[in-house]
Amino acid sequence: MQIEHVYTFKGIPRNIVWETIQDKEVLQKALPGCKVFEEVEENKYHSVLGINIGPIKGEFTADVQQLDMEEPEAYRLLVKAKGKPGEIDADAAMQFEETAEGTVLTCIAEVQITGLLASIGQRVIGGVAKVVIGQFFKDVDKETKKAA
Amino acid sequence: MAGKVGARIKRKEDPRLLTGNGYFSDDIQLPGMLHAAILRSPHAHALIKSINIEKALEAPGVVAIYTGKDLEGKIGRIPSSWLIPGSNLKEAPQYPLAIDRVRYVGDGVVLVIAEDRYGVRDVLDLIEVDYEFLPVSVRQKEAMQENAPLVHDDIENNIAFHWKAGEVPDEEIEEAEVVVRESFNVQRVAPSPIETRAAIGQYNPGNGELTLWCTSQNPHIHRMVLSEVLDISEAKLRVIAPDIGGGFGGKIGVYPDEALIGYAARDLKQPVKWIEERNEHFSAANHGRDEIIDVELAGTRDGKLTAIRVKNTANMGAYLSTFGPGVPTIDFGLMITGAYDIPKAACETFGVYTNTTSTDAYRGAGKPESTYQIERMIDLFAREIGMDPVELRRKNFAKKEDFPFTNAQGLVYDSGDYEKPLNKALEILDYKKLREEQEALRNEGKLVGIGFSTYVELCGFGPSAVAGAIGFQGGVWENATIRVHPSGKVTVFSGTSPHGQGHNTTFSQVVSDKLGIPLEDIEFVFSDTKAVSMGWGTYGSRSVAVGGGAISIAADRIIEKAKKIAAHELETSVEDIEFEDGVFKISGVPGMERKFVDIAKSANYAWNLPEGVEPALEAQAFFDPENFVYPFGTHIVVAEVDKDTGQIELKRYIAVDDVGRVINPLTSEGQVHGGIAQGVGQAMWEGIVYSDQGQLLSGSFMDYTMPKARFFPTIETAFTETLSPVNQLGAKGIGETGTTASIAAVMNAVVDALQPYGVTDVEMPLTPEKIWNIIQTGGENDDTI
Repeated sequence: MQIEHVYTFKGIPRNIVWETIQDKEVLQKALPGCKVFEEVEENKYHSVLGINIGPIKGEFTADVQQLDMEEPEAYRLLVKAKGKPGEIDADAAMQFEETAEGTVLTCIAEVQITGLLASIGQRVIGGVAKVVIGQFFKDVDKETKKAA
Repeated sequence: MAGKVGARIKRKEDPRLLTGNGYFSDDIQLPGMLHAAILRSPHAHALIKSINIEKALEAPGVVAIYTGKDLEGKIGRIPSSWLIPGSNLKEAPQYPLAIDRVRYVGDGVVLVIAEDRYGVRDVLDLIEVDYEFLPVSVRQKEAMQENAPLVHDDIENNIAFHWKAGEVPDEEIEEAEVVVRESFNVQRVAPSPIETRAAIGQYNPGNGELTLWCTSQNPHIHRMVLSEVLDISEAKLRVIAPDIGGGFGGKIGVYPDEALIGYAARDLKQPVKWIEERNEHFSAANHGRDEIIDVELAGTRDGKLTAIRVKNTANMGAYLSTFGPGVPTIDFGLMITGAYDIPKAACETFGVYTNTTSTDAYRGAGKPESTYQIERMIDLFAREIGMDPVELRRKNFAKKEDFPFTNAQGLVYDSGDYEKPLNKALEILDYKKLREEQEALRNEGKLVGIGFSTYVELCGFGPSAVAGAIGFQGGVWENATIRVHPSGKVTVFSGTSPHGQGHNTTFSQVVSDKLGIPLEDIEFVFSDTKAVSMGWGTYGSRSVAVGGGAISIAADRIIEKAKKIAAHELETSVEDIEFEDGVFKISGVPGMERKFVDIAKSANYAWNLPEGVEPALEAQAFFDPENFVYPFGTHIVVAEVDKDTGQIELKRYIAVDDVGRVINPLTSEGQVHGGIAQGVGQAMWEGIVYSDQGQLLSGSFMDYTMPKARFFPTIETAFTETLSPVNQLGAKGIGETGTTASIAAVMNAVVDALQPYGVTDVEMPLTPEKIWNIIQTGGENDDTI
């Protein structure tokens, strides 16, 4: 399943968005239901997230990795999350583009899901992902404004 | 007492079941009983790198945890029981738990036994399995291609078997005046009985006997297969099927799970119960269908069909199930000509392994698929040559005088008169008038269609020698014992195994007529391998035709012996004794008589028996029929498509079936209704959907649409009776006819309704979205929707 999301950080320069979205504390605040967020090694994190998708609720342990860093234009984000309802395996390309309006962040993710998430949640997951990702970017946006 | 056969008698089973006094697997409570749960693979294809059970072992109430490695060498592989000869069949080993590699979502990985039913389920969440993903093969045609990921490393191109029957040279097709070609996808469906699967094991360490209660349609096959899998004497393994909430083929299979429960009960020397969850059932219980069928039908411009060539590419899932290989080959491929005298026929079937749940027999098993293709092709051919579809059918029917009729694939249809139910159905429908109305409605912009299915199906399994020749690993005869107690009450033991059909009622009618005793004096024992000496279970619409045949013969033997005793008591010769309505009389001598109950008593007391006659009154019969039976009929659907929403309304459903002798019209109608619901369900709503990664996307009743009563109009049923010469009752099978007939009837009606858009075919299921899109695009059927 492919999930695509575009978010415009209005009036925020690219380098600020880049720095903010890499900030560990910001990530912890912006990630949905984030209970634990630890850096395991450089650009590799271990986290525990509380996710609530329609009929499926549960705690997920997630390994998050950032790689192919091309500051401030792009990076690749790998998320492997595991919980009672199933597993989520996401491979996302994050692109930052500076425009007259601000910084446009495009996230294109190839997502594999298993278990109940797949057999029951599949139809709603696209919509829910949109909400969750949108909320994440909004929260990051707030932080960039603080930084800017 | 006579006249019970043919009467509308209410089901003897119902008062017990409707008042909550059924005895289903989950009702079984045994002292010290433990509970089992199975951790299943969330991946379609992956290597098991490690399994960590440390945390799980510490959970409260955990008694034992088994992985596939733990059981290696302790439980045998679960075999398929239908090994089609001459098909280069390659059976991949299926172990009760995956050892180092999982091959479908739902593949068993770890078995947990704990004290508490809920607790055991929680323990599954504490087990950590580290998987390494492998590429997947999900759809059968892709799976056969070079370089497709292999489900089993040593099975080339994932081809499980390649079977051929009949030959049609190219010129028969190429040089024909008219050829129609179409490809059909008979999508995968889930049998979805109201009761999921279950197994309870109890081991007696004293005598070494293992009792296994399980939701089996064929307990003796389960005993035969599992005694080998579990390495236990068949004489020490007792399989009992208690009340079962529906099977529809999904409970034919001998499953890994049942072997696991038997093993654990023996290993732990404590009873173990496993009740499958619904979500688990969607992924771990066998599915049905999933066949892609390519057909070429040739004939003349004036409507004489000359040849048919069919290729079936069947998705077998990750392993070959118990009956799986027989479905798209024997059951399907020998029936491709349907009710028609088409002189040349050929079928080629590929069975393909994929990373999906295994497929097995599902109500009709191959016959609905076969009927679907030929009945759709007949409509396409009729349209091509501009002939009325009814006329084309009549023109090509096997003629009444040609019975027993040998079809192009060599099957001998026992009896038939295909015009009879067709005429009756047309009369009920008022065909001429309806065609006129259809035209008028079309002019008003309303889309009404009429669909026919003049089916015939093979059932009543069957002659055992034939079963052997087609690779079935067992016999298909049937066994009946009638035991007459001193009181004259009767216990009948039958090797068939009911799971909702109403055997108790229909068989009682047969015995009541035979012995002249009331229905309530007759009790049955089914589905217990210790009580019933042998038998082959219930599937393939065989219970009345074969099981009922055996009961009839056993009853004759009872009468034969009772007559000798009556003659002795009445001091006359056996030849002078007449038996009617439960009374033995001397012909022409009024008052000289003995009732059935009198003989029951004297036979059992044995105070005064004729010379050479043994005490007691009991008879057993083993009946191996000389042929299958071939019920037939006409189903007609009138459907209206809503142009604006794509919604389909079934306006009328007419079913005229000829199943030979109708023993009980009431229960027969019930069978027809249920069969139709499942066939129409396939045509209109149901469908198992896998993602390209092999994830099951339709894993709950929120995502999988079951037929509901309110979706149907009143089903107008009628019967004609063309007796079968194969068994004493003249009866054919009725359990599957509805499903076999209905898919094509619905599809033909909807395609007919969409004719103004030039639509020639629509892929199942007929979701409103799909139909709406077809209407919007002016007739283009986007198969990808």
